Amino acid sequence: MNHKSKPRKIQSTIMAAFSIMSASIMLVLGIVMYLRFSVASKHDIIQSTKKLMEQTGENLEDYLVSMRQISDAVYYNVIKENDFSSQDKDIQKGMNLLYEANSRNLRSIAVYNHYGSLIAAEPVALQKEDPDVTRQDWYQKAFKEVENMHFSTPHIQNLFDDHTHRYYWVISLSRVVELTDHGIPMNGVLLVDMDYAGISRMMKKINAINNGQYYYLCDSNGQIIYHNRQIQISNGIAYENSIQTAKYKDGVYEDLFRGEKRKVIVNTISYTGWKLVGIIPYATFNQGMYDIRYFIVILILLMAMMLVVINRVISVRISSPILKLNESVTEYEAGEKPEIYIGGSQEIRYLGYSIQRSYEQIDELMHKIVLEQTERRKSELDALQSQINPHFLYNALDSITWMIEGERNDDAVVMISELAKLFRISLSKGRTIINIKDELQHAKSYMNIQKVRYKNSFSITFDVEQEVYACCTVKLVLQPILENAINYGMEGMDDCGEIKVTGTLKDGNVTLSVADNGVGMSEEEVSLVLTDSNRIHKHGSGVGLVNVNNRIQILFGKEYGLLVESEPDEGTTVSVRIPAVPYTEENRKKLEMGHVFSREEISDNKAQHL
Amino acid sequence: MNNSGKWFHVIEAVLAVMVILMAAAMLLEKNSKQYRKISVVIQDAEDTQWAAFRYGLKMAAQDQKVELVVASTADVLTKEEQLNTIKREIELGADAVIVQPVPGDDLEQKLRHLEKKVPIMLVEYTAAKEREKSQFPSVEPDHSAMGEALAEELKKDYCGNLSGKKYGILMKADAPHAMNSRRQGVEKALQDTGIVCSWVVDGSVENKPEVDIVIALDNNSLIKAAEQAAANNLHGALVYGIGNSTQAAYYLDTGSVECLVVPDEFSVGYYSLTEAAERLRHFFRGMKSRVVAYTVIRREELFEERNQEILFTMCQ
Repeated sequence: MNHKSKPRKIQSTIMAAFSIMSASIMLVLGIVMYLRFSVASKHDIIQSTKKLMEQTGENLEDYLVSMRQISDAVYYNVIKENDFSSQDKDIQKGMNLLYEANSRNLRSIAVYNHYGSLIAAEPVALQKEDPDVTRQDWYQKAFKEVENMHFSTPHIQNLFDDHTHRYYWVISLSRVVELTDHGIPMNGVLLVDMDYAGISRMMKKINAINNGQYYYLCDSNGQIIYHNRQIQISNGIAYENSIQTAKYKDGVYEDLFRGEKRKVIVNTISYTGWKLVGIIPYATFNQGMYDIRYFIVILILLMAMMLVVINRVISVRISSPILKLNESVTEYEAGEKPEIYIGGSQEIRYLGYSIQRSYEQIDELMHKIVLEQTERRKSELDALQSQINPHFLYNALDSITWMIEGERNDDAVVMISELAKLFRISLSKGRTIINIKDELQHAKSYMNIQKVRYKNSFSITFDVEQEVYACCTVKLVLQPILENAINYGMEGMDDCGEIKVTGTLKDGNVTLSVADNGVGMSEEEVSLVLTDSNRIHKHGSGVGLVNVNNRIQILFGKEYGLLVESEPDEGTTVSVRIPAVPYTEENRKKLEMGHVFSREEISDNKAQHL
Repeated sequence: MNNSGKWFHVIEAVLAVMVILMAAAMLLEKNSKQYRKISVVIQDAEDTQWAAFRYGLKMAAQDQKVELVVASTADVLTKEEQLNTIKREIELGADAVIVQPVPGDDLEQKLRHLEKKVPIMLVEYTAAKEREKSQFPSVEPDHSAMGEALAEELKKDYCGNLSGKKYGILMKADAPHAMNSRRQGVEKALQDTGIVCSWVVDGSVENKPEVDIVIALDNNSLIKAAEQAAANNLHGALVYGIGNSTQAAYYLDTGSVECLVVPDEFSVGYYSLTEAAERLRHFFRGMKSRVVAYTVIRREELFEERNQEILFTMCQ
């Protein structure tokens, strides 16, 4: 089924349009704001991470440079200046001074000869039983590239036994040195073991914020030097992309590692080639954005609340005059006569004026139409009446002529006298509406004239109720009926024709009946009496019951008029049915003006005249 | 009130409710960032043997973003002391408790009563006599396998020819189930080799009959045996043992101990706390029991890279 949706009200439409528009704008604004914040926040995090890494990188470099300086100082100021065979105490003293000055970051300083035997060490400690340093990584590296200093990755120091049952985690700085023993120069290895805790402290410091972002340190091969999840990585609980990252140059990189997208910031530590790596998982960026997300959503919601109020005010302001105008027009259409609303904006005011003018014009036109209609009805009535007058005059004059020719002068006098009465009532000072009493008088005069003409071949009786006399009727309605009764009903009746005129008042209606005992009509003929005005009449002028019926209906309405009842060889009764409007000057004028009385008006009138 | 007026009030009300919900969500999110607290009750919490275990706990707490509290305890805890310590930790706001159970027949039952308040995870061994009958999840090494591995190393050293040899077992009495498992593991591996067990003791080996081999089944026993070996009080007996401290490693390094089996205490700490934290995060998720690995270390292998990491965790 095709259901047509109900048209929306203007206020709802305006509010919906405004709301959709403002919601869209707010949504776009919110998204743009969020993206802008997000990008700015991401940029800030990256920049601050870079700065922190640069600072830490510098600290690490300083730390490592200081270690190298210690190594240089031991080598150039202590080892090179002294012979191990004769000046071992000076060497020990020099090493002790340097160790003590840097003991916070140092675990030990040791010198080994090219056989791997310990020559000097600080602090003085018992060497482990056969540590075999020649197999240790730092020793091998030193001899591999004799011109360089080598930093190892963190490892357990496996050199001395200090009886503390402890193991130290160190980073070894080793180099080949030229030492003199008994005046003979030879190669050895100078080992400076840095306490891993120094680097660990620095790295822990920058890893203190546990927000997902972290930093680690690896060598140029990706071997991890410090990672805050170092053991987890070794145990396979956690993973790090250090081997790949070690290949990166300094800068910021995008990285997708084990399904996690992250920013990788690389900072190379000079000389060692170590990489300080900062990892910012994308989740960290989002973490910082949670509060902003909530803030933006709450802001949008509050703005939406405010905009809904504003939209409501605007839509009410715009639609209110239109609604008022619509209301007044609706009332007007319902039949009331309200003032058309004129207010609001210029356009609505103009519309109000325009509608008001239109209604005024419609009223004028209606009035004009009513007048024109009345005029038309009057002219129609006049035309009908003018059709009757010549017809009757012809008949009357024909009868008088016939009397005079038959020297029946008295009858002619009576005839003329009756004719005079007839005409007086016919004229009725030009009135269309007369009282029934006059109409009956007119009918009597007419019948007297006709009786003369027809040599009293029929009898006429009037039986009219008294209260009927004072009611209004259209004049000359009975005369054509009587004429028909004489012409058609009395034909071939041979002095036994009877015509009876009755008048009754019942249910607010007056019924004037003309009954004859003539030849009557068939049913078919009865049906044509009031409908076929073009019938060829056997007698008379041809103006018949159709005209009478039309006149009654023009003046009293369609529910009134003639009723013809007839039986062949039984007779015919023609009844005039009209409303029982009391005859007063006012009612007469109203009827003549075309006013049709309702039943209530008739009742009211009747009550007034009783 | 006309239709549009009704809609206006409905929209305003819906928006107001959404603002309130968002504000509440924001506050809840901030509150949810407060860390949950997990307490750990172990015997002699400050002892060096717990270094790796504590480091594992610390790393897991960092990964899981929970607050870790290790209750300070005496060298030896009685059942009542341990239960009181657990209750105190719960009263102090612990959301979960990790417990190394002390010996006691009805400890499991008592712990079950406490478990109604907070989740409890056991470490090192279960509170029930048999592991399978324990109703608590636990993270522990395979005690029997460790004993067996230790005995296998002994067999290797003697090329399986242990006939006529004698050995003594040194083990602590405060973890009878775990120790018995380790002992059963040793005995299982040594059966049919001809070696004879001379004694099984808790504490000192002094005044014990001479043996060729001393097998220490826990860290403290191993250190005691190693100390005796270092002082030449064992009459040349070789020491094999299970230990998890730098002292134990030191005695291996210095030759007082022939072979050391090291349980992965880092994993015990890490997984026990991870399981407890996961349980707190997901209410309906049960905690799973885990068996962690162990490493057999010989003197010459002590400073190999993989073993250095074990030492690293013990050094923390």
